[in-house]
Amino acid sequence: MHIADGFLSTQVCLGAGALSAGAIGLSLRKLNETVSTRTVPLTGMMAALIFAAQMVNFPLLLAPASGHLLGGVLAAVVVGPWAGCVAIALVLFLQMTLFADGGWLAYGANVLNMGVVGSLGGYAIYAGIRRRMPGPRGIVVGAVIASWVSVVAASALFCVEFSLSHYDEGFNLPGLFAVMTSFHSLIGVGEALITGGVVSYLLAVRPDLIAEPGSPAGAVAGLGRVVWSGAVAALAVAAFAAPFASEADDGLEAASKEVKIEGLVQEPRALLLADYKIPLPRFVSSAGSSDEAASGQSNGFWQKLSVSLAGVLGTAAILGITFALGGFSKSRIAPEATHAG
Amino acid sequence: MPGDFLDRYSRGGTICHRMSPRLKIILTVAVIVTCAFLPLSNWPLYGCLASLVFVALSLAEIPIAYLTRRLLLFLPLVLMTAIAVPLSRGFAGGWQTAGTVVIRAVVAFLAALWLVSTTPFDRLLAGLCRLGLPRLFAALLAFVYRYIHVLFDELARMRTAQRARTFKRPPGWRDWKGAVQLVGTLMIRALVRAERIHGAMCSRGWTGKMHSLD
Repeated sequence: MHIADGFLSTQVCLGAGALSAGAIGLSLRKLNETVSTRTVPLTGMMAALIFAAQMVNFPLLLAPASGHLLGGVLAAVVVGPWAGCVAIALVLFLQMTLFADGGWLAYGANVLNMGVVGSLGGYAIYAGIRRRMPGPRGIVVGAVIASWVSVVAASALFCVEFSLSHYDEGFNLPGLFAVMTSFHSLIGVGEALITGGVVSYLLAVRPDLIAEPGSPAGAVAGLGRVVWSGAVAALAVAAFAAPFASEADDGLEAASKEVKIEGLVQEPRALLLADYKIPLPRFVSSAGSSDEAASGQSNGFWQKLSVSLAGVLGTAAILGITFALGGFSKSRIAPEATHAG
Repeated sequence: MPGDFLDRYSRGGTICHRMSPRLKIILTVAVIVTCAFLPLSNWPLYGCLASLVFVALSLAEIPIAYLTRRLLLFLPLVLMTAIAVPLSRGFAGGWQTAGTVVIRAVVAFLAALWLVSTTPFDRLLAGLCRLGLPRLFAALLAFVYRYIHVLFDELARMRTAQRARTFKRPPGWRDWKGAVQLVGTLMIRALVRAERIHGAMCSRGWTGKMHSLD
């Protein structure tokens, strides 16, 4: 899940870094607006807790491997979205410096994928489901759905970032999208099970610890929920529309050409193949000579798979977002919400 | 416990350890950025960068066995993500992108490892602050760094207690439930502890504003 350095181009890293810096700054401001003395101990402890909880191994029920918690939605459910987002950013920073897990340059992208989309976006879905389903059942159901969606959305966002970084290499976004999202929809099931389990344990033992959307910690969400559900919706549209857009060979291409700084144009890749031999000559030659043909025929299966997966995932995401936006119409911020919807 | 892993060789006396943290941060980021910009056609430069990083690591007297262990833990993650690129094209290409990504990732990883293994965490934070990291974020990081050790100890105690009451690992579902309860209990204890710390900080004059001596 952690993006290492070398995966993304510097331009994409800087863009993602600017977005996450803005989100973290906003979160810190929102946190300091309530009880400013609580920011450091509460958020810091939540981050330390997520860090420690990731050391607990969960046996995966059907697989020989074991998984661990990612924690974005769990943190947001317990201490509210702003503190959750900052806590994930802190965890990622410590993992980067202490474990060298996740790259320095890719830190902004990691925060964007897991903190901003994972915590803030996940909370938007969670809050929407809670409006529809009051009571403890809504808390658990909301946390489970939100954590699954947050993992899949993070992987979809990674695909977009990755293809923006490597768009000039004859890149097959629908294929990568299919592979990554199908991996992560499985990982997401693990995450959802763990989050749901921990949240229902907390509800059974200390229900007072979970932030109510009506209480000060939850009311902070306010306007931000509209903004962030809009962001999640935009992300979903971008991610799920991307396969179709790139088949038509315009949207993403054009966007990535705009992003690219002119002075940094790299050598055309065809030249490299002549002097760099990968010990798989058959693949190299087919990749070099018939890039278009290869991505056209042999990936028919992957493209179909990706389109159907995108359909399923898209429906799930849209369902969550519909819940979220439907919930807003009942709240105080109704006029803005209807505009956003 | 992972406590062993946390900036393990950062308190040494070599020339790398004595360099200014700010300089080290700038150097490391420079290596990582260069690596990201370098097209694969200039592959000899990757070799130069890698040897540069390796020289730095050996100047810092970091044992090669430790480096190997860290790389062995790191590589599977990178390879798993990188393999998604050829896999997405039905193994009919994309090997070059995957290869480039892996080489860049390894060089950047070793550079970051050098920085972390020659700079204690508090010096690293001070260096980052002087390079523009916001004070509040640095205070939060220092807080987290302090309390992950406390929580690791707490977790270890709880695991010992859990094992003392369980003769062997229960199968499947019940083992999973045990792990959930472990995390849940740790969370309750941590949040209660956070409240206590908040009270203690306020009673010592904490107002939410950061002050620093330097």
